[in-house]
Amino acid sequence: MSGLIELGPLQLATATLLIVAAGVVSFVLRLGVERRLAIAALRTTIQLGLLGLILERVFALENPWLVVGLLLLMTIFAAREAVSRASRRYRGILADAWLTMAASCFLVGGIVTQVVVGVKPWYDPQYVIPLLGMILGNSLTGISLCLDRFMDYLETRSNEVELRIAFGATRREALAAPLRDAVRTGMIPIINSMAAAGIVSLPGMMTGQILAGSPPMQAVAYQIVVMFMIAAAVALGAMLAVVFAGRRFMGPDATLRLDRMTSESHQ
Amino acid sequence: MATFLECGPFSARDGEGRLLFEDALVSLADGQCVTLEGPSGGGKSTLLRFITGLAWSPEAGRTLEGADFAGSQMPAWRARVTLAAQDAPMLAGTVRDNLAFPFAQRAGCLHDFDEGASSDLLQAVDLGRLPLDREVRTLSGGERHRLALVRGLLWDPPVLVADEPLSGLDPEVAGQCFELLLRYARRPGRLLLCALHDPEFNSRADRRLRLAEGILGETR
Repeated sequence: MSGLIELGPLQLATATLLIVAAGVVSFVLRLGVERRLAIAALRTTIQLGLLGLILERVFALENPWLVVGLLLLMTIFAAREAVSRASRRYRGILADAWLTMAASCFLVGGIVTQVVVGVKPWYDPQYVIPLLGMILGNSLTGISLCLDRFMDYLETRSNEVELRIAFGATRREALAAPLRDAVRTGMIPIINSMAAAGIVSLPGMMTGQILAGSPPMQAVAYQIVVMFMIAAAVALGAMLAVVFAGRRFMGPDATLRLDRMTSESHQ
Repeated sequence: MATFLECGPFSARDGEGRLLFEDALVSLADGQCVTLEGPSGGGKSTLLRFITGLAWSPEAGRTLEGADFAGSQMPAWRARVTLAAQDAPMLAGTVRDNLAFPFAQRAGCLHDFDEGASSDLLQAVDLGRLPLDREVRTLSGGERHRLALVRGLLWDPPVLVADEPLSGLDPEVAGQCFELLLRYARRPGRLLLCALHDPEFNSRADRRLRLAEGILGETR
């Protein structure tokens, strides 16, 4: 089996030429995204660089509390990112998003690392952090899509929701249709990537493992576990997110409180 | 006459902060057709939404036939004091979906969707030819309004609250629909409260409420 080819500063500098090429395309075609491209590239470099430094530290220290602390920090960032992508808000959305993230991430991540993979020691950062990170990254997309769709439904189709309420719908009955619609929307990306996996795309994690020298069948096995894990986390997270949001917009008296919704018009 | 429906006090302002009504109390007897008149923008729809409990009004009391409703009993209240909202809102789906959905909700377990009764009512509002599997988005405005009326009458709640149920109908059909509403209202244990702006229909009501300049009063 071939070993790992190490990447040094020279290799990274060469890769930078590629992002510059993308910027040139934007400039020539007047797409106007070169600034955002540059900022995004810079963010990637800095954020990943910091992560690398932190991970090296965490790996070396082998302290379970440090691992748990880092995971908690990651859920907070994920919640903030999920909320900032939704075009509508409500009071307490950040707390709800964090609770959702933490619940789905720790439950599904816990099952995968402790039961499916059987990591030893239980907090082994080499497994726990990347696996939970992948859950968070994907839940984030799922939850923000789902929340966005849910609030959009409540606002643009409030006529339909209130029609059900007018005829005596309970909270559960009134919110069933928007909830279904929102969770379905939140799950589309992961369903698409599961359906396309291996045919249209080589999933990123599997690619990484193969590049790092793993036997392809092992990489495939991990990828399947990861896909299922993400699907479960997104389904759970999306559902929790809209159940929490639903409770904010409707009490047990089933009155629709759209006055509790705010729009982020500047975004 | 004994009080059948009692609710309030309700207070509301419009988007500009102008007073629509303050401490409005509604107390009505059964077996009647009661109309609500007043200038447009004067808060009629808002008041009807308060009465039917669609607008948030936790401080108001609501009594029907001596029974109080509050908090988690609000769905039960709305199933009994049911709003047929302005502009005839519809669920995406077929005519049947729109007539039958209330009976599939928990509040609807009291009785089942009666297809025979629904086709009789559709007939009575001149929609007899309408197939039940027709998609509602293909209906005209007038057809939707009549369908909404049929939905309310089919549900047959103790109190039907209708917001401009006859708008967009030609005079002949509107007359037919009004007769149907009167027949519904003038039964013991039933009450119709409806916002109408047609002077002729209003003159035939048993009671005429009027909401103007922040005051809920009565026209004799």
